[in-house]
Amino acid sequence: MTTQQLPRFLTYQNIPLWRHVLIIQWTAQIVSAIVVVALVVWFFANVSNAIQDRDIPFGWSFLQREYQTPIGEHFIPYESSDTFLYALLVAITNTVIVAVAGVILAIILGIVIGVARLSSNWLVSRLALVYIEFFRNVPLLVQLLFWFFIILALPPVREGYAIGGFLYINNGGISMPWPLPNNLAMGLIWTALALTGVVVGILLNKRLSRKETETGQSTYPFIKGVAAAAGIAVAAWLLLSLLAGESPFFLSVPGPEGRFGRIAGGFTARAGLLVLLVGLVIYTAAFIAEIVRAGIQSVGRGQTEAARALGLSPTNTLRQVIFPQALRVIIPPLISQCLNLTKNSSLGGAVGYTDLTNVAVTMTQTAPAISIFILIMASYLVMSLTWSLIGNIYNRRLQFGGRR
Amino acid sequence: MAAPTAPHAGYEIPPPRTEVGVIGWLTANLFSTWYNAALTLIAGTALILALWYGLSWVFAGADWTVIAKLGGRFVIGQYNTDAACAGNNCFWRPQAALLLVIALLGMAWGLQGNPVARNIAVGVTVIAAAFAFLPYSLERMGLDVRILLLAGIPALGVGYALARWTPLGTGLRITIAGVVIFLLTLVLLRGLPGVPGMQPVGVIYWGGLMLNLILAVGGITLSLPIGIALALGRRSNLPVVKALCVTFIEVFRGVPLITLLFMSQVLVPLAFPQDFPLNSLLRAGIIITMFSAAYMAENIRGGLQALHPGQAEAARALGLAGWQTTLLISLPQAIRNVIPAIVGQFIGLFKDTSLVYIIAMLDIVETGRTFILGNPEYLQSAREMFVFVALVFWIFTYGMSYVSSKVEESLGVGQR
Repeated sequence: MTTQQLPRFLTYQNIPLWRHVLIIQWTAQIVSAIVVVALVVWFFANVSNAIQDRDIPFGWSFLQREYQTPIGEHFIPYESSDTFLYALLVAITNTVIVAVAGVILAIILGIVIGVARLSSNWLVSRLALVYIEFFRNVPLLVQLLFWFFIILALPPVREGYAIGGFLYINNGGISMPWPLPNNLAMGLIWTALALTGVVVGILLNKRLSRKETETGQSTYPFIKGVAAAAGIAVAAWLLLSLLAGESPFFLSVPGPEGRFGRIAGGFTARAGLLVLLVGLVIYTAAFIAEIVRAGIQSVGRGQTEAARALGLSPTNTLRQVIFPQALRVIIPPLISQCLNLTKNSSLGGAVGYTDLTNVAVTMTQTAPAISIFILIMASYLVMSLTWSLIGNIYNRRLQFGGRR
Repeated sequence: MAAPTAPHAGYEIPPPRTEVGVIGWLTANLFSTWYNAALTLIAGTALILALWYGLSWVFAGADWTVIAKLGGRFVIGQYNTDAACAGNNCFWRPQAALLLVIALLGMAWGLQGNPVARNIAVGVTVIAAAFAFLPYSLERMGLDVRILLLAGIPALGVGYALARWTPLGTGLRITIAGVVIFLLTLVLLRGLPGVPGMQPVGVIYWGGLMLNLILAVGGITLSLPIGIALALGRRSNLPVVKALCVTFIEVFRGVPLITLLFMSQVLVPLAFPQDFPLNSLLRAGIIITMFSAAYMAENIRGGLQALHPGQAEAARALGLAGWQTTLLISLPQAIRNVIPAIVGQFIGLFKDTSLVYIIAMLDIVETGRTFILGNPEYLQSAREMFVFVALVFWIFTYGMSYVSSKVEESLGVGQR
């Protein structure tokens, strides 16, 4: 059948309708949209039926109710009489703290192992390889449980290990010396001044680096920057000590206290937090190490050779030529590892850490599950988007000006 | 011997002894500079200490009886307990499934004839057969169990012969055989009501490594095609399709798997009619597959993006239709380029099967954990148990990356 014999309404610009690309595409879109909308409507109808028929609770009024359940680990003050909303906030803080601390530590360890993997030293590179291949290929849950049961099998507080009188290790966790402010106001002021010093140091470093690049004179940007930051911090410390009559911070050393030999003072990294952090860092560092290795290897040999031919020192070659280019390759997968670490912290429940998922699972026993899950999904999506945003901003700053 | 006064034909001065041989290798690789020498000493000391303490723990300090104590529970969970399989011995069913899998591996070996398929097929058969000679009992281990384990050897032979000398020996037919065997395994394990010896066993009793493997095989098989579809959808120029795919991918990638799994347990009974046949195994399987597919889609999208647009343009210029261009030109090249990422995702999926603990399924990890929590006298043995479980996982995941590197080699990735 040729096109001419077709009825007019079945053709469009002499193309039969069922062969016309626009028609096909739009039909596909409409059909898929209808299917998805139908599925969603069906789910919602089922859910609302279930809510009515089976008397399943749904709503948001629970957020103002008292949660009435203790949360094992909390970094902001929490009592059982606080509301569900506040308890969720506590749980989110727990997850965020583990995620941020874990990401920082995992990046440091990952870079060390990634560089070790590229070392010309055969033994070091083999050890890094073994580390990567082992920890990357074993489920995080198994690793977490391994550490968890090691801590659990340690002696209880009273029979725990005391190392040098300042480090206490027992089945409750590890207690270590920690700086505490003598006076909260003074502590905050000193912290603010020290941070100002860091900013000044960074600015000085940038300025001197630019001068070094422009004039070719050695300006020692790194040493001078660090010296400026340290100088400001020390000066602020001395000044505040003179003004207040006591130093802004003192070193709190833990020690046994009372009849039960409870460890007081210092900072106690409790078992759940410790296990989760150690497990996440060791696991994620193996992935980051591979990313760092691939990133450094992605910079062509010619770059090193050209930089050396131009007279750059090996250190400067690495710092100013190889690393900036490697970072472009490293950042996107690194961000997805940060995301993974944040999401993997949801395994905290298995090792006794009250992270967001764990608290949410407990909450479903006394609050409407649907509402809880909407909140949880939103929280995790916001965290993911925040990581992506940080990554994208940093990534954009790294790109070549002329390339985009 | 006097030194030659002039070089003559056939006489070459050998390189200095410090440049070649063991000494040369040592100086080049371990002691090239002073800090390299220091690093070597530190790393060497650490390695020797770790080996010393590690090995003395493995052979003298560790108490491995906990592994024997759990024995078959690691492999099949509670499948053969009285609660799951009252009054009967159901252990032969997972064993028969293992025989089918070995036969399938034999087929792969017979078809390919390459050393990788052979190593895997023979390795699995030998390990299974080795268990038949264990001195102690493995889950009510009678003579029948040992014979069924040894039957892996003829099963391997049958599979090999079928692929080698019968019309079954084509890639497509063996793939179909694989799907049939997977479904057959599920039926075998689930049981058929009314058939003698095949009494139904609820999926909540499935467990151990068997559960991890079933979820992984199902998830891997399905997540790749779904991931490809999602990746193509995300790159399509149809706004509705694209929006749907982006939403799906980002939602599943933005939330932890364990949250999704728990949600499936609470919400799926609400979202489906009450009598909808969706048991916990199926729910876990669907969620793990969807989760993995979302990541797979991003990997494949990366491969498609890295492909030079000239490939698709040339295909269109040669007169291939849009779907032909995608299926025959773009996708094969894109997938070949991201094989490491895809296999990494498969490995991730296999590791993620350990998360089913959140919906109270007793996989190999949860079997161990619940045992220790229920028997505090074994608390000190938890180390041995999780080292063992870690090794089991490591063997599978390392095997997967080994196969992947061989596949890459045979496809000539990085050489064209």
